[in-house]
Amino acid sequence: MTLNFEIEQRPDFAILVAKLSKDQKIQAEPSAMASMDPHIKMKTGMKGGLLKSVGRALGGESFFVNTFTAEGAPGEVVFAPGPMGDMQHYHIEESGPSLCLQRGSYVANTEGVEVTGKWDGVKGFFSGEGMVLLKATGSGDIFFNTFGALIDLDVTGDYYVDTGYIVAFEDTLSYQITTVPGLGIGQKLKTFFLGGEGLVCKFSGQGKLWIQTRCVKPFINWVHPFRPHKKSSS
Amino acid sequence: MNVEIKHRPAFATVFVTLAPGESIIAESDAMASMSSNVGMRTRFNGGFFPAILKKLFGNESLFINEFFCESGESAQVVLTQPTPGDIEQIDLAGESLFFQPGAYVASTPGVKVSMAWAGLASWFGGEGLFRLRVHGKGSVWFGGYGGVYQRPIKGEYIVDTGHLIAYDPSLTLSIGLSGGLFSSFFGGEGFISRVKGEGKVYMQSRSMDGLASWTNGHLY
Amino acid sequence: MQIELVGKPAGTAARVTLAQGETLTAEVGAMIAMSSQLQVTTASKTKGGKGGVLKGIKRMFSGESFFLNSFTATAQGQEVIVAPSLIGDIVHHQLTGGTLVVQGSSWLASGVDIDIDTTFQGLVAGMFSGEGLFWVKCSGTGDLLLNSFGAIYTIDVKDGYTVDSGHIVAFEDTLEMKVGKASKSLVGSILGGEGLVCKFTGQGKLYCQTHNPPSFGQSLGQNLKPRS
Repeated sequence: MTLNFEIEQRPDFAILVAKLSKDQKIQAEPSAMASMDPHIKMKTGMKGGLLKSVGRALGGESFFVNTFTAEGAPGEVVFAPGPMGDMQHYHIEESGPSLCLQRGSYVANTEGVEVTGKWDGVKGFFSGEGMVLLKATGSGDIFFNTFGALIDLDVTGDYYVDTGYIVAFEDTLSYQITTVPGLGIGQKLKTFFLGGEGLVCKFSGQGKLWIQTRCVKPFINWVHPFRPHKKSSS
Repeated sequence: MNVEIKHRPAFATVFVTLAPGESIIAESDAMASMSSNVGMRTRFNGGFFPAILKKLFGNESLFINEFFCESGESAQVVLTQPTPGDIEQIDLAGESLFFQPGAYVASTPGVKVSMAWAGLASWFGGEGLFRLRVHGKGSVWFGGYGGVYQRPIKGEYIVDTGHLIAYDPSLTLSIGLSGGLFSSFFGGEGFISRVKGEGKVYMQSRSMDGLASWTNGHLY
Repeated sequence: MQIELVGKPAGTAARVTLAQGETLTAEVGAMIAMSSQLQVTTASKTKGGKGGVLKGIKRMFSGESFFLNSFTATAQGQEVIVAPSLIGDIVHHQLTGGTLVVQGSSWLASGVDIDIDTTFQGLVAGMFSGEGLFWVKCSGTGDLLLNSFGAIYTIDVKDGYTVDSGHIVAFEDTLEMKVGKASKSLVGSILGGEGLVCKFTGQGKLYCQTHNPPSFGQSLGQNLKPRS
């Protein structure tokens, strides 16, 4: 079933306006719902088998999704991600490439698309950077968001991308996590977060790659002084 | 007075040019910069709700200042909001509008700004204990985190707490759960606001709660 | 070098294409993507360094110091994409002699012929969370990239101008700046949380940003997990 949708307020505060037909379903990232018609029913479930092997280092979240159904009549659900940025739609077909996407960029998908955190090659990304890579296969629509602007790159040759800025890529690309000597400050200075270590992902082959222009690591370093202090227990 | 909203929608900022003697009312944190011939005075400090109550129930304090041109030449005041986002202008001809207190940016002197009690249900649902009421004749500028989108309501609409910024007083708000008990909390949506009646509701396309959850998910 | 600003106005990044042997110096952590054959080095720039000021700078960046990455092209046309940590814009300023005083967190990158002096006096204590407001003096000729939280607007100062301290990006050093508390007529909630304003006199260009990082940080911060 194709989805009737609009992505509004691009490129800075992109929201997905999903216009569901009668009894049509859409799955989405928890807490992404901003507003909706009253007869839309929401149910929570777990997906992807990500749970046990994933510790706090990987963002600490299990992959729950919410399913929204337009019960009995067509209806609208508006989805808004957490960070400011853009949103992209990608159509997946069984015969075409699968899409790899960063966990924090997942917004929603239609029925017929399988999104999982357990797949071959996923270990390559467990570099302690807190980035979890999901894979989307099947047939249907998937939506992903960015923190900052979206840059669309057609890779033809070697390219290095700092791992925090990777949003999504077609699985026709091959990738390898590597370090660039001289890029980070390494052991020279203790940083609050695992930053500045010079970890990049080297992409080669041919395929589409989407990157974002902001990433969570430096943002967290910036926001750290504004966090409340833990109250000592009396 | 000449008012221009520039850098919409990501960083909407109100550029005000005041003629001698003219003034504009604004949230006191809103001043980004101003020419040296602008004077300021306090207009409102939250009314009769004691500051301690506001501290206990959330950051609902509202301080409003009047910025006026104090020389014989025109003056400039640049007004902004704490979060990136859009700013809308509404011209009132005697009617009222309700806002989440954080949404108010500025207004012309003929518009009355007051705090109203929103009810415990509203606080419990995460919308805050107080809401702002503006009414009178003049213009009011309000904004939010993200872009502003609206829906005309005829019947009912559901808005996630944190995304609601303003609504016509003809609408009523009630708090509900987003799904069943399990879904509401494990599903991350929590409470929602049911907006009923006939009128317009204004929403922001991002929320501080949403940003905080996203950030907290990455924090140690 | 050729500089293309992409992702405007809120997620702006600078896509820099370098000629062979050309170098771009940027803040550590600013690199998003780069051609694989670029030569990268790290250095800490402390021109005429005074130990005390270096400590202040360290505090400013909450544990990160003012370390710099230099990207040098080994062949024509290699590129590097850099971006700041906060949402906002980037302005490409061409320095042709003269000096631009830049707010510390607004400096993103510059060509190697620009002298970056981080020891300029003007460390003002009392900003949010004990961090000082510090300035970087940029002089020389070449390309300078500044970032802003919000959009950037320019004021041509002639008769004096007042800016809330969280809103300054950079100013020409022909202007004189005095930092102080906001006018005593402002009671109650203080501007940007600290009540510090910068009053400019003289004549020159002033770059301001429409949004205030400590204000935003404070709004968000209170909803975050406490720090240990």
